[in-house]
Amino acid sequence: MKEFRPLEKIRLEGVLPRVFAGDTPRPSEVWRGDVTFRRGETVLVEAASGAGKSSMCAYIFGSRTDYEGRILFNGTDVSTLRPAEWQQVRRLNLAYLPQELSLFPELTAWENLQLKNGLTDAVTARRAEEWLTRLGIIDRRDYPAGKMSIGQQQRLAIVRALCMPFDFIILDEPVSHLDEANNRIAAEIIADEARRQGAGIISTSVGNHLLLDYQRILSL
Amino acid sequence: MKLVDRLLRRNTSWARVAGFVVSNFIGLAIVTGALQFYLDARGLWEADDSFISTDYLVVNKRVTGGDVLGGDNTRFSAAEIDDLRTQPWVRKVGLFTSNDFRAYMSVSGASHSLSSYIFFESIPDSFVDVPSARWQWEPGADVPIIISKDYLTLYNFGFASSAGMPQMSEGIMSGIPIRLSLRSEDGRVEKTVNAHVAGYSNRLNTILVPENFLREANAEMGTGSQQAPSRLIVDVSSPGDVAIDRYMEEHGLEVAGDKSASQASFLLRLVTAIVLAIGAVITLLSLFILVLSISLIMEKNRDKLHTLLMLGYDLPAVGRPYIRLAVTASVSAFVLATGATLVMRSYYLGPLEGLGGGGGPVWVAPAAGLGLTLVVIAFNILAVRRRVLSAWRL
Repeated sequence: MKEFRPLEKIRLEGVLPRVFAGDTPRPSEVWRGDVTFRRGETVLVEAASGAGKSSMCAYIFGSRTDYEGRILFNGTDVSTLRPAEWQQVRRLNLAYLPQELSLFPELTAWENLQLKNGLTDAVTARRAEEWLTRLGIIDRRDYPAGKMSIGQQQRLAIVRALCMPFDFIILDEPVSHLDEANNRIAAEIIADEARRQGAGIISTSVGNHLLLDYQRILSL
Repeated sequence: MKLVDRLLRRNTSWARVAGFVVSNFIGLAIVTGALQFYLDARGLWEADDSFISTDYLVVNKRVTGGDVLGGDNTRFSAAEIDDLRTQPWVRKVGLFTSNDFRAYMSVSGASHSLSSYIFFESIPDSFVDVPSARWQWEPGADVPIIISKDYLTLYNFGFASSAGMPQMSEGIMSGIPIRLSLRSEDGRVEKTVNAHVAGYSNRLNTILVPENFLREANAEMGTGSQQAPSRLIVDVSSPGDVAIDRYMEEHGLEVAGDKSASQASFLLRLVTAIVLAIGAVITLLSLFILVLSISLIMEKNRDKLHTLLMLGYDLPAVGRPYIRLAVTASVSAFVLATGATLVMRSYYLGPLEGLGGGGGPVWVAPAAGLGLTLVVIAFNILAVRRRVLSAWRL
């Protein structure tokens, strides 16, 4: 059983979505390149729509494998990880906010959080409620997630992504539906939590980006 | 984990699951019921003659006028035996060996004694279904004998009553020591041995002794001119086969004893096999219903499965609600089927015991049902695993 305690480095080595393979190479600091994300580092990946941001996030998270090149966790090629090992990575190393949010609409906001937090009990109920309060959706705690507005759902999904111990948090366009005030609050909560855990942040954006102090900005 | 169950049980069609339980119940009930009935009913034919399997036929040539006038045409030649061996319905053929010396039997009671010239025959031990301890002979020991039940009947109702002799039950007869005086044809060798009746047969019209005893006695006292056998014992695959009758007819052969037990037993087995096959097919079809309905639920819940896997749930954990559903449904059907079989048995057991049957083991049929249930569960576990893995790779 391969374990990463902690996951220090994520390296993308000559990675390219297979659908891009035949295209004329566009300038990119990630595709076909050699990029390393380090634990504790805050990185923004910027690109126009269609450049493959969600693909990159899904490749790192292991939910898609339609790429060329290699992705390495602490030097280990992720293509050698078995399902059970990936599941452990998703519980203990990589927090992920997918662009499509992937909430369960029939469950309440609180149940959605419990479903994730129940795996590791990483976050106390008080802390989670505090985050919901700061993001202004505490009154939607017992609402079915499907009945919440898209902006509220995005805030809920951010809280859910934080309900685990992590070495990296991957945020795929995390504030696309948020106003600036909520963007700032979300950024504060994420930055605090990442700092507390010594974790790295990889955030993507098509323009409206999470308001953090980025140490690096990569263009895809 | 209640949340996961709640999520993944969505889209469950309870009507389909109930459809599985009912059809699986019917299939299993047919299998266990038929098996139980077979086990109880076969005693009707087999209990009274446990020495010779109903699959064995004793064959001899028909005696014709020419034979009476001194011919020796009732013996089987090697070619005829080989021809019989190659018939498709023949499993094996055993030869009867007869005594090649004179034998004289005497039974002494308190007031009466009985003596007579007799004959012996033997067949290969593999054809005799007596526990080997009772059918063993070593030099110096008593010789066990199996006699035709007809001989006892003949004695009790034909001879004993007219000669003023006491009638004897099978048990008493078995307890009486028998003395056998054996003498070679030329009178040079003579010996006496003790014997006892080890059993009675409905289907063997002879006086049967262990093969090794007769071989040794023939070697010691025989003339050495061992003749070809006039009777054969044949192990057949299906005693009711018309091909057997046709062959016997064409070759002028006779099957000794009552064949109806063979045929009834064959018929019982055939009917049971057909009913079992029908039950097995229904069980198999119900297995497909369950696999399909669980696959359908999982297909409809594919996104949910995928999302749970993305949250970090282990693969077995997301498959568990479906496996639990399959196990619960299958075990319910099994319990119902076993119950139905026991109820059915309680109805037929009385009449069946009146006919002389009953008393079959009660665990075999439920064990077979349990085996089928485990097959159903195993198939579903495999199907669930495959689906989970495909949702993981989505």
